[in-house]
Amino acid sequence: MDQTVPYLIDLLAAAILVTTFLIVSSRSLIFYVRLFSLQSIMLGAVALLVVIGYGETHILVSVVLTLLVKAVGIPIVLSRLIDRIKVPKEIDFSVNTTISLLVCGFLVILANSVAEPIISSRPVSTAMVTKVLPISISVMLIGLFIMTSRRKAVTQIIGLLTMENGVFLSGLSITSGMPMIVELGIFFDILVAALILGVFVFRINRTFETVDSDTLRRLRH
Amino acid sequence: MLYSLQSTNLFILSLLAYVIGAVLGPILAPRKAPASSAGRRLAGYAVTAVFLVSAIASLASLVASYMVLSSRASVDVSPFPLTPFGHLTFRLDPLSAFFLLVISLVGFAVSIYSLGYARSFLFKRHVGLLLFLHNSFLLLMTSVVTVTNGVLFVVVWEGMSIATYFLITYEHESQPSRRAGFLYIAMTHVGTFFLILMFLTLFSHSRSFDFDSFRITASAMPWGSKTLVFFCALIGFGIKAGVIPLHIWLPEAHPAAPSNISALMSGVMIKTGIYGMIRVFFDFLGTGLPWWGFAVLILALGSSVLGVLFALMEHDLKRLLAYHSIENIGIILMGIAVALIFHQAGNDGIAIVGLVAALFHTLNHATFKSLLFLSAGSVVHSTGTRNMEELGGLIKRLPYTATFFLVGAVAISALPPLNGFASEWLTFQAFFRGFDVAELSVKTAMPISMALLALTSALAAACFVKAFGITFLGTSRSRHVQDIHESPWNMLAAMGLLAAACLFFGIDPSLVISRLQPVADFVLHRNPSGALSVDVARSISANPTVNEAPVLVAVLLLGIAAIAIVAIVVLRGNRRSRVVPTWACGLEGLAPRMQYTATGFSKPIRMIFSSVFRPSREIDVREPMSPYFKPTIRVDLKTEAIFDTHVYRPLMNSVLAALRVLRKVQTGHIQSYLAYIFITLIVLLWMAL
Amino acid sequence: MDSPNGMEKQLVTAAIWIVQLVAVLALPPLVNGIIRKSKARLQNRVGPPLSQSYSDLFKLFRKEALVSATTSWIFRAAPYVVFTTTLLVATLMPMFSPYPPLGWMSDFILLVYLLGLGRFFLALSALDAGSSFGGLGSSREMTIASLVEPAMILSIFATAASAGSLNLNAIASSVSPSISSLLNPSQILAFAGLFIVTLAETGRIPVDNPATHLELTMIHEAMILEYSGRHLALIEWASQIKLLIFFSLLGNLFIPTGIAASVSLVDFVTGIAIYLVKIGGLAVVVALVESTNAKLRLFRVPDLLMVAFTLSLLSLVLRFLIR
Repeated sequence: MDQTVPYLIDLLAAAILVTTFLIVSSRSLIFYVRLFSLQSIMLGAVALLVVIGYGETHILVSVVLTLLVKAVGIPIVLSRLIDRIKVPKEIDFSVNTTISLLVCGFLVILANSVAEPIISSRPVSTAMVTKVLPISISVMLIGLFIMTSRRKAVTQIIGLLTMENGVFLSGLSITSGMPMIVELGIFFDILVAALILGVFVFRINRTFETVDSDTLRRLRH
Repeated sequence: MLYSLQSTNLFILSLLAYVIGAVLGPILAPRKAPASSAGRRLAGYAVTAVFLVSAIASLASLVASYMVLSSRASVDVSPFPLTPFGHLTFRLDPLSAFFLLVISLVGFAVSIYSLGYARSFLFKRHVGLLLFLHNSFLLLMTSVVTVTNGVLFVVVWEGMSIATYFLITYEHESQPSRRAGFLYIAMTHVGTFFLILMFLTLFSHSRSFDFDSFRITASAMPWGSKTLVFFCALIGFGIKAGVIPLHIWLPEAHPAAPSNISALMSGVMIKTGIYGMIRVFFDFLGTGLPWWGFAVLILALGSSVLGVLFALMEHDLKRLLAYHSIENIGIILMGIAVALIFHQAGNDGIAIVGLVAALFHTLNHATFKSLLFLSAGSVVHSTGTRNMEELGGLIKRLPYTATFFLVGAVAISALPPLNGFASEWLTFQAFFRGFDVAELSVKTAMPISMALLALTSALAAACFVKAFGITFLGTSRSRHVQDIHESPWNMLAAMGLLAAACLFFGIDPSLVISRLQPVADFVLHRNPSGALSVDVARSISANPTVNEAPVLVAVLLLGIAAIAIVAIVVLRGNRRSRVVPTWACGLEGLAPRMQYTATGFSKPIRMIFSSVFRPSREIDVREPMSPYFKPTIRVDLKTEAIFDTHVYRPLMNSVLAALRVLRKVQTGHIQSYLAYIFITLIVLLWMAL
Repeated sequence: MDSPNGMEKQLVTAAIWIVQLVAVLALPPLVNGIIRKSKARLQNRVGPPLSQSYSDLFKLFRKEALVSATTSWIFRAAPYVVFTTTLLVATLMPMFSPYPPLGWMSDFILLVYLLGLGRFFLALSALDAGSSFGGLGSSREMTIASLVEPAMILSIFATAASAGSLNLNAIASSVSPSISSLLNPSQILAFAGLFIVTLAETGRIPVDNPATHLELTMIHEAMILEYSGRHLALIEWASQIKLLIFFSLLGNLFIPTGIAASVSLVDFVTGIAIYLVKIGGLAVVVALVESTNAKLRLFRVPDLLMVAFTLSLLSLVLRFLIR
């Protein structure tokens, strides 16, 4: 084991951050889903590198699950959903791209200052922690931001999934993966959530002829 | 000894000359035109003579302040031994001398300019009043930066504000002028309130109003008082400087005054606010709390970016320039913010760079902004309108004015080799060096500030392409531009002087910087001869990029251009180009109305920054009575003044609401008024027990 | 590394300066030719020969210049100002030698603002003829330029801060040519940011189309619509030089292999060869981007520039904030 593995992890983590930003800046729903898939593949690669570099073999299951569920399964479900509901393929923003990007830039800086005490509290700080943890927190925050700032329910699903990717990444960075059972739980959670949300979106669309979640306000009465 | 004597004498001479000018002006310049032509000529000479007196006064104080700056020593001048508050002493320490230099430089040019400018409305307006106000304004500004006593400072400060008020309302028959004057006097009084509060806080610790005693006691005050003083100074001086969100008076007041006075106000008067801030923040308070610098930095960035954005939306030439003053005050404050942040952190090297950048930009802004106001004044003078949409093609009628305006435009857009670039370069360097510091907050703030500074100056360039291009280039858009002629030589000479200053400070910035460093040392209470630890400042001020590069850039630019021209002439022979009409898509000729307008020019920016401007548009199509005529279309375009509607309106409404509650006290019964007095008396007596 | 001194050094410097001057005058049309050729090949066309851009310039210089009757001296002066400032910036850039002439002057801010001076005059000249095209181009150009500037400053900030200087020569010589420092995430992001900035500054496709004359889409072309003959030649040449400037920036700040390590002739020639390869490669990449992307709507351009800005900001965060 040499410098290559930490270096590659570093590179991939940055790439994951960039894909998150691209998700924020992109305008087409299909592109959204593809970017998410790409992000999940890179996440799987990071996990694989942790297996190779640090010998944490139990993560192997997570690697396989990540690739199967997030990189392939969910994207297929979502793109079929987008095809089925025939909504305009452009994304509605409640906050425009420029300002979104600015906000996300500040979220990264915020995430970094949040991660600072965690990093310095740890006895040994490896590259895994110092570099990946701030990025994972940023990915979580940006995921949440996507959920709050985009109108369509589909984009809100992607936001949720992005957030989950961030959680997974932070798990990898701090503890080299959470206990198996937790991982599995999360995976099925996410899968089920995506499916249920998908069905939900489909229903909303059938009822309101739109997937704009703003119309849900009408349910108040 | 002889040295200091000379500068003292010159300073006293200048004060006296201002007083003489102020007294002679109203006496010599008649209100009504004399019957005889000889009398009229005599009156003209009298006006010229009085402005020459003020020019001499400015020249004297210019030389005096330059001598003090070079000698790096403070000089006390006490012309009058006794006043109720002790000796009336004017002190020319390096900081005062620097600001005096700025005032007198611009004052000199403006006095020369006014020779021609004021004669044009002699007998139409009260020129005597203008002469009086002009001289008192200069005298009071000189006093503001040189007095050494808090009470006196407030007195001359108020005097300056009142003189300005009368200058703003000089054209008192126009409603906007009166409104601008009212807004100005209201805002400036809020400012004065904060200044008085500040001096009283300082006084409560030092038990004296002398600046010297503030200097000793203020830095040892408890943090609460220090913060109070900081805030009062920030608001009080910030209003005068026109910092956003305290700026609302500025874009109204500067255009309302006669153009020569606008140049003084925008070039110099708002700088007295900067003087006050530097005096209080550094000289009195010493070091501050860490977040002070950040507070100033946020104000600075906001003022510069918003200032230039608002300027882009203007098509009134003088209002546009007024908004640019706000922008440039922002840039000056950036330097001050850097100085505050790093002085507090004990890193004086970067603090000095920031302070020098701020002072240098103060000088530069004074020169190019007054140049721009004076040339805008020439345009208004000859065309009678400030609306850019009605101008165009002036470069052919006013070639010299156009060239001078262009010099000012290039300088304010911070393009090399003129002076605006030199000081912005220093500000960039201050930010860049600041990044080396380990603190996360500083590390985050510096690159972002740098990017915003870049945005600001690029937007300023866009704005001046608009201002110059629409006003001076193309073809004339209205009848205002028909029979006009170039301004008289003395107005041109004044502009030429300032343009030369822009070029000179731009090409040889090291000359200025080397003289500003002692000022920064003085302000930060550093021993100028010792203190060798300021490597950063040293390395930056010795950096050849700012010392030799500008000259070389100018030389190389000229050289390459000359070679290119020669090469083309040699290779092609000096064949003249053929003059043809502008291409009009094959249509018959080009009408002036087909040109881009100022509003059109700034449309992309209005769209991109629509969250700032909130543009709204009303289109009113009148159907024609007969199908043979085209419908008339009226487009009404508005941008929202966000500070007006979202800050001041609500504030004013709540104040008025509070006052309405208070008005219940005013019952109208004489008995109740007597009761108030009685109760007050009882309470006071009880308190006295 | 043998450093020459005294007289010899000055001679070498002078020689290098002359080589660089010749290079920045002669290379740009070739780069332009490469872009045009590779675009044509990507679209299954034969395309013009590589020498076409030279012929174009030559032809323009020989043609008569028409000047509109409504213009002033600004219109005639602008081509010279643009050409002069651009050429000066190009000669000050680090390109392929360790002892660049006047290297101490290659301050990034100075160079950016010198280019700004040229743009300022070009935008003014566009308003001079009094046609609406000029105003349109000038307005759009200045808008985009003002949004590009912050991204441009930030994109080199990370590299500059590591070098501790804003001097491009100092930056270029401080970047170590090892793989891990070249391919580190921060460098890649900054490169991407500067690449977008390059496309915007030089008027390439997602931002502006250099081949269009349709009023709805023109930016740069609308500004120079009134120019002809030698004036147009100077402006065209200047914009080609500007492309070379940005390519050199991309090539030398992010892929610093190839700046000759010493002044020996072999190293120097190798340096030039590597430099040419880098520039050629970048030209092909630009052609690729131009062929695979559509021009953006004008009001989508700010989004793209915001992406460049955020990429640069991220590069900074990754380099300095995340330890």
